[in-house]
Amino acid sequence: MTADPKKPFPILPLIRNEFFLYVLSFVGFLFIWDWVAREQILGKSLAQPYDVVQELTRLLSVKLAGKDLLGHIWDSTRRVFIGFAIAAVFAVPLGLLMALNRYINALVKPVFDIFKPMPPIAWISIAILWFGIEEASKIFIILIGAFVPCLLNSYNGVRLIEPELYDVVRMLGGKRRDEIFHVSFPAAFPAIFSGLQISLSIAWTCVLAAELVSSRSGLGWIIIQGMRLTKPELVIGGMAIIALVAWLTSLLVSGLERLVCPWRREIGGL
Amino acid sequence: MTEKDRPNQIKISCQNIRKVFIQKGKIQVHVLEDISLAVYRNEFVVILGPGQSGKTTLLRIIAGLEAPTAGRVLLDGQEVKGPGPDRGLVFQSYMLFPWRTVLGNVEMGPKLRGLPKESRRKSASHYLNLVGLAGYEKYYPHQLSGGMKQRVGIARAYANNPEVMLLDEPFGQLDAQTRYYMEKETVRIWETEKRTVIFVTNNIDEAIYLGDRIITLEGKLPGRMKAVYPVPLPRPREHTDLAFLNLRHEIIESSKLLL
Repeated sequence: MTADPKKPFPILPLIRNEFFLYVLSFVGFLFIWDWVAREQILGKSLAQPYDVVQELTRLLSVKLAGKDLLGHIWDSTRRVFIGFAIAAVFAVPLGLLMALNRYINALVKPVFDIFKPMPPIAWISIAILWFGIEEASKIFIILIGAFVPCLLNSYNGVRLIEPELYDVVRMLGGKRRDEIFHVSFPAAFPAIFSGLQISLSIAWTCVLAAELVSSRSGLGWIIIQGMRLTKPELVIGGMAIIALVAWLTSLLVSGLERLVCPWRREIGGL
Repeated sequence: MTEKDRPNQIKISCQNIRKVFIQKGKIQVHVLEDISLAVYRNEFVVILGPGQSGKTTLLRIIAGLEAPTAGRVLLDGQEVKGPGPDRGLVFQSYMLFPWRTVLGNVEMGPKLRGLPKESRRKSASHYLNLVGLAGYEKYYPHQLSGGMKQRVGIARAYANNPEVMLLDEPFGQLDAQTRYYMEKETVRIWETEKRTVIFVTNNIDEAIYLGDRIITLEGKLPGRMKAVYPVPLPRPREHTDLAFLNLRHEIIESSKLLL
């Protein structure tokens, strides 16, 4: 676009440019953060962005409790993946079975409904009593937290299918088995994947909570260290890394969804 | 089709069909009462009735998706006990599988019946050609317009090679122009690939344009048969022909319905 000589500063096209607004939003956020920290408007406990970056760079080479930053990231991520994977492997098929068979549903649902509203964090103490403070208790918490949305979403994914879609299969000569494999499962895939996304984000919440309570490694432990050492740059650095890693793992799930559900590719969304 | 060259072979007959739905154990909805009709082989029969006259239920009973409370449906003299590939159903709301491409949708029937890939490809592309969708094989349903979706629905039913085509207000969701165009296409397809057709609609012009015979239902529940009108007009028909308009007038007068 060529600049109009009568308008020396074309502000309107600029503020209507989404990319410019993205950059503006990000830079503005950093700028305000830096200003608030530098002027100590919230006291001394807010680190400047540059200090956070510096602290994180330092942790790449300096070991904290025998592990560098990547080691701690891996510890948390591993816990999340193990707990999340166990939950998904059991909860998704169970949800599908419950939706497809009312007897299984009648058997499982009452118990599930008791545990459903219980926040996973409430399990931390009992988990430590049962499994100690090592890996098992953390993975247990994550499993509990990730289980519920996985199950609920695969269940609802099947229950909310338009019944006439089954009629199509029956009219074309399909049997009950065909209805399940050609309608129930593919129709539930999108709901299953949104369940997996929710589960994953709950899994990250749970790993953090578990590591904050008792741990010798992981990103939650780094944040606790920062608090104990009164190093806000370490706390904020830990928070930023968690956001980054959790976002990257959610990209993995969306990537898998795009692979499994190619028909959703053009529908859009986040 | 005139009386003379109509094959005297009854393809489908409904005998004294009654349907009562029971909801939540107590509330009864009486939808159909004493429906008896016969459809001849390769005949195009239109069931015409306003909303809530039970016509979709009647079609679903013929399809075998609902069991009649009383009476029975015979297909080639055999009682219909359930759905089956000898009847193809086209749905008002298309009911395409969103996770399957156009080709995947159309070859679903042959696939379910275990036909080898090559032969189901062949019949799928034949019917996609017939409905004018060649070149759209790899599209997903959400990328298509309403008219195109219903073409896929028609091709999907045809590709299973049914003896009877059942269409449930297939063009009800289309705009007037597309609808008119699809009606022309329906006649063209039916003339190319003759089948026994039962077409349900609430649109009187659509009924006269398409049908060999029109069966009207009463406009309130329970739905009963009102009258049967042969449509002796030659094809292709014109909505503005005097004979067309006279028949339209006659049906509206006698049925006292705003169709």
